[in-house]
Amino acid sequence: MKTAGTNSWFWYALVTVVAWGAVGLLQKLGTNRISSRSVLVWLFVGFAVLVPFLPFAQLWGLSPYLLFIGVLSGFLNALGSWFLFLSMESGAKASVAVPLTGLFPLITVLLGVSILRERPTALEWIGVCCALLGGILLSRESEAVGGS
Amino acid sequence: MGLARWLTYALLCIIAWGTWGFVAKLGADKIAPGPLQILATAGTLPLALVAFLQLRMRLEKDGRGITYGILNGVLSGIGLLAYYAAVSRGKVSVVGSVTSLFPLLTVVLAFIFLRERLNRVQVVGVALSLVAIAIFSQ
Repeated sequence: MKTAGTNSWFWYALVTVVAWGAVGLLQKLGTNRISSRSVLVWLFVGFAVLVPFLPFAQLWGLSPYLLFIGVLSGFLNALGSWFLFLSMESGAKASVAVPLTGLFPLITVLLGVSILRERPTALEWIGVCCALLGGILLSRESEAVGGS
Repeated sequence: MGLARWLTYALLCIIAWGTWGFVAKLGADKIAPGPLQILATAGTLPLALVAFLQLRMRLEKDGRGITYGILNGVLSGIGLLAYYAAVSRGKVSVVGSVTSLFPLLTVVLAFIFLRERLNRVQVVGVALSLVAIAIFSQ
């Protein structure tokens, strides 16, 4: 197994998969007990818990553009969660809406390829397709069993 | 006329999250993960405030629910820090699709802790995810 080098990103990405996978389980457990709006409030509290451990000093010297980009990323992330709540409240079935919203990386891929002019290799494209489809199929819960 | 309301919201969710994945790449290319997460936390505040106001500033007092909610935030934040680190080292088109594999772990954890069974569609999803992981771990 090669570790360092060109795909050092992969190991960080796996940390994300593990952390967010556990978040998925917590959401299953949490939304049975508290409303989706409360989840968003506590999500912010959880973010705030991490902040004292993060390096504030590195914020100095960032350009207004970069400060805006950083804040915008947090806003868009929360906005996406908000739209998912609204979709559920408007009668979406979790077994349909969750896999459907799992399509979001498709937009990220399109933006990366069109705006940043990224050119994934043929093998990477196969991996991208498997990952996108795999993620969507995995979130397709049977109605009798899952959903909220 | 037009799309069902739930579908409109679901599509807006896809656009917001899809754009987030890209904007986070723009940030992570120039900002270290730590400070970027501080800024992202600030960006989350307005919607958390709106949610809090809509709840008439009353949060449920369910201890377990609160614990899950806060843990949810801490783990989401840790996942984001790793996402920034990953995306600053690779192509967002590739990294973004790999991190979208997180339901794999949810399904596995739900199988272990909640004894939820996998349906056939999810089994195919597991197989495709493992192929993707095999390709990118080379």
